[in-house]
Parts: sequence; structure tokens; C-alpha cells
Amino acid sequence: MLIELKDVNKTYFGAQPLHVLKGINLSIERGEFVSIMGASGSGKSTLLNILGILDNYDSGEYRINGKLIWDLTEKQAAEYRNKMIGFVFQSYNLIGFKTAVENVELPLFYQGVPRRKRHERAMDYLDKMGLKDWAHHYPNEMSGGQKQRVAIARALITKPDIILADEPTGALDSKTSVEIMDLLSKLNREDQLTIIVVTHESVVASVTNKIVRIKDGVIGDVETNPRHDASPFGESTKMK
Amino acid sequence: MMRFDTDWFKEISDTLTRNKSRSLLTGFGIFWGIFMLLAMMGGGNGLKDLLSSNFRGFATNSGFVVADLTSKPYKGFRKGRAWNLTLKDIEKLDQMIPELDVVTPLIADWGQNAVRGEREVQCYVSGVRADYVSVMEPRLRYGRYINNIDVSQKRHVCVIGKKIYNDLFPEGGDPCGQMIQIRGSYFRVAGVDFNAGNVSIGGPADETVILPISIVSSLLNRGNAIDLICMTAKPGKKISAVQGRIREIIARDHYIDPTDEAAIQMLDAEEIFSIVDNLFKGVNILVWLIGLGTLLAGAIGVSNIMMVTVKERTTEIGIRRAIGATPRMILTQIMSESVSLTILAGVLGILFSVFVLNIAELASTQDGILQAHFQIGFWPAVVVLLLLTVLGLLAGLAPATRAMNIKPVDAIRDE
Repeated sequence: MLIELKDVNKTYFGAQPLHVLKGINLSIERGEFVSIMGASGSGKSTLLNILGILDNYDSGEYRINGKLIWDLTEKQAAEYRNKMIGFVFQSYNLIGFKTAVENVELPLFYQGVPRRKRHERAMDYLDKMGLKDWAHHYPNEMSGGQKQRVAIARALITKPDIILADEPTGALDSKTSVEIMDLLSKLNREDQLTIIVVTHESVVASVTNKIVRIKDGVIGDVETNPRHDASPFGESTKMK
Repeated sequence: MMRFDTDWFKEISDTLTRNKSRSLLTGFGIFWGIFMLLAMMGGGNGLKDLLSSNFRGFATNSGFVVADLTSKPYKGFRKGRAWNLTLKDIEKLDQMIPELDVVTPLIADWGQNAVRGEREVQCYVSGVRADYVSVMEPRLRYGRYINNIDVSQKRHVCVIGKKIYNDLFPEGGDPCGQMIQIRGSYFRVAGVDFNAGNVSIGGPADETVILPISIVSSLLNRGNAIDLICMTAKPGKKISAVQGRIREIIARDHYIDPTDEAAIQMLDAEEIFSIVDNLFKGVNILVWLIGLGTLLAGAIGVSNIMMVTVKERTTEIGIRRAIGATPRMILTQIMSESVSLTILAGVLGILFSVFVLNIAELASTQDGILQAHFQIGFWPAVVVLLLLTVLGLLAGLAPATRAMNIKPVDAIRDE
């Protein structure tokens, strides 16, 4: 069991305490392609932050590969994120003054990988994404789909256990969305990567093999979706 | 862990050059602060040098006594009486005041002409003893100074100043052994004094002909009378401490009211030197205050700009944190940026001030002789550089802490 959440609770203490996650139980196996669906305010972003060790939880247990993620120092958290998790964001979150290849290299820079090796690996991954010719372009010279593929290369370069994609198609048109989802799906199939996609679009979710619905801070139902039967972006599944 | 390789520098230079005009203006604060500090330090030193070159050769712990008309009636003598210092006073002061090192007389004869062949030049004549060198040290270019035997045997020898040498011996070379004529008597040149200090006794050193006092005394029919008593204090003693006793001894011998300060005029060189010294101490403090103040303002500017930069880069820092940068790496990065900017601007400031001070030094050089040292030393520059590093670190501290506290989760999500 790669990811195991047991009765995870999270409350935001503001002027009015907000109980966002009310006992989440979830397990994800290695090599699964899962989507987490929910409306805004359902707690899916908070869940993603906890899964990505970007935020901590109040009670319960979260284990990656059996390792309990609890009470980590900032340094440990940074290390775990760097080694175990690759992030793909809605707004790409590339660093604007760095070229594509420099962006992809960055996680390895923080691992202390020597320059030449870093560069080689980054080029390999860009090649895999079909962006070799764009390696020395800056993000603002690329299309949204290209930027997202650079971001995916950056997520992959550390060979993480989990890829966490937060609305990876949120800023893309439908054609590019399909391309990106196909890419993720291919990575899952061919490289046995564990991919978790957070989304509120059912068409995006339908590409994945398992759909976890979250509502009001609890897991609603978990639906296996082996046939990917929802026709993407079709008449019946309008973009929400 | 983190590596300080070329990428590291690239990382820093990337961020600093991303907003060039802002980095430039920020750096200018530091640049100007350093320039001000060093230029003023150098300028202060140079001015001090220029001023003290006026005192060159002059003993700082010296004092002088001059006779003037009495201003008070005393023991039956009316006021306004003229009197003279004598060689006897010299002896008495020498014997009775152990704090004094050298007590030596001087006879001055102004408005004379020194003649050699067809050349003639106006000069001041000073008659001195050999121990006068303790008061006014000559800088002999040629020959020797007046010695004890010259004085006791009334030898016709002289030491001439630089201007007189230049005017009477335009062909240059060693003039020793040649004769010049003063007051109708011939004197053999024994030495040439190149002292160019502006403070001197009798007349300007470069226009003075120094003779043995015994000869001047007989030439002028002075008998025992002298014009000036020059004295220096022993090391660690002060002229000002014995002034009262000097006054008493002289007053008693010449029937002068001991309280008559106008009659026995005393000059304490040390007092004047200490005024100059204090002046420059004050100037130095001012220089440091202004320089450090400007520098501090520059550093605060850097800190401020870095603060803005960090705020602007919240997302970027968040991304870095999300993909594995530890808070410490972020801290190091912001600190390095601050230190790099400070040191870069500071070194430019040091270079510029060295350049400007060099020009000042060139401008103050006369006949190939440096008049004043404007240039700052190597070690002060190193100290300033270290100071800059510390300032850069301090300036980076607040922005870096802020950057360190950026949570990736706050920064990444646009919602």
C-alpha cells in the first residue's frame, strides 16, 4: 500500500473554526491512476496539500510507503517532497526567468546533483515530453500545453513515488487537456507511475482508473473506472 | 546538500539582473556610502598631511621665550622698559629646570643679503648653537649642520636654505666649500637645508642662512643679549607644566614683575599642535559618522528592496519549497543575493574612491615629491570590505527570514 490515510482530520482555526476534513480514509496502491473529485469547498485541495506534505493534519495517520508523515520539520518535509512527490499545478508554476531545462533541473539542484548530470537528465525528460527543441526557451515563449509538459518533466525528474496533479488541465483548452491527460495516462501505463489527479471536471476524471469523490470533508464513494467509458468532452459530459 | 558551483552564482546573478535598474539603484546606495566613507577618510588624512607638512622638522614638545617691553612697573622701574634675554638666562634655565631637555639661544637678523659673485638674494640670518637641531630639525641635502666647534671657534661657516641655494647656485651641485658674503663677511657654505616647513623661527627655513651664534653676536655687537630662548621638554614632560617656573627665573634676573605676561612672552608649541591634533580627531569622528551613516542608509535601502523582492517572489519561493528546497536553502539564497549586491557595489565604491584619491595625490605632488598622502591603506580597505559583508548579511537578515517563512501552500495556489 503506497498511500494510506486513516481517519485524517483537519480544521482551520480562523474567526470561525472550519472543520475541512472529517475523517478521511483512503488507500492507494502503487501504480494506480486515481482522480479525486469534488466541488470547490469540498476539502479536495486540503486533502491534496496533506497528500503533498505541503500542510499538516490535526489527527489520524498518513503513511507513504509505510512511513508515517507526522510532525516533520520543515527540512524533512522538503526532503520528502523532493524525493517522493512530484507536483503538477493548474497554473504550471514554472519559474519565469529560467528556461525550460533549468526549470526541469531545479529539483535535482536542490538534491545536490552535479550540474552536467542534472542537465543530461533534464534533457532526457524534456525529450520524452517532446520538448527537446524548446529546452532553452522561457516559459512565456511557450503554449499552455508545452508549459504543462515542462512542469510534468520537472515532476518526473526526481523519479518520485507519487505524482500529484492539481487541476492539471484547469488552464488549458479541451484539445490540450486531452493531450495532457493522455500523457499522464501513458506515463501510468508504461512507467507504472502512481498518479493522483485532483479535479472537478468529470471528463478529466473519466480518464483515470479510479475516481474518489469527496464531499463536505468526507469520502463519498470510490468508483473504479476501468473502461474509461465517459466519452471525453462529449455531449453528455459538458465541461462543468 | 547545496552546492556552491557556477549554478549558484548564476542563480544569484539571474535574480540580480532580472530587475537591473532596481539592483543598480540599490547598489548605488552602498556604492555611494563606501565612496563617501573612504574619500573622506583619505581626504581627511591628506589635509592633515598637508597641514602638518607646515610643521615639518619642528619639535612638537618645544617652547619659546621672547622679550618684549614691560607692561607693569616693578621695583622702581617704570613700565614700558625694554630688556633683553641673555645667554645667562639660558644657563640658568638649563640648570634649574630639570624637565627641560635642550635650552638654546637664537639671534635673528632680518633683511640681510647673501651675495655670491654677481648674484644676490635677500635672506634671514639666524645665529644658533649646534643643539638648535633638537628644536628645528634640518633636512640636509648637502654637507653638515653648524657644530659646537664652529660656535666656540667662531668659524665663518653657514648652512643655507633651499631658496638661497637655488638662487646663488643655479648651476646646482654640491656648494659646500664655496664662499658667500653676508654683511660684508665671507662665509664658507657647510651645508644646505632643504627643510620646507612653513612654521619656523626667525624666518622661512628656505630663505634663512644659519650661522654660528657666536659670530652673529659679534657681528651685531650683541654682547650677551639674545632674541629668543628655544627649549624642548624631556620625553613625557610638558612645557606648559614648567612655564610658571621659567617665568619666575627670568623675571627675577631682569627685575620684571613675575605677573607681567606681556614682558616675558612665552609660546608653547605643544598647545598649538594639540589644537591641530584635536581638530583632526574631531574631523575623523565626523568622517566616520557621516560615512557610516551613509553606508547604513545604503544597507537599509538594500534590506528594503530585498523585502519588496521577496514579496514579489512569494510564488517563486513557494514553488522552490514545494519541489524540495529547505527553508535553509531559501535563507542562504536571499542572504547570498544581499551580500553579493552589497559587496559588488561596495568594491566598486572602493575602486572609485581609490581612483579619486589617486588623482588627489597626483594633484598634490610638487616637483615629484608627494606633499600629502590621500590614498587609503590596504588594511583599512580590507576592514571596510569585511564591514560590507557584515552589512550585507544584516541587510539580508529580515528579508531572508520573511522568505524562509513562506509556506509553499500559501504561495502556490492561485485561489
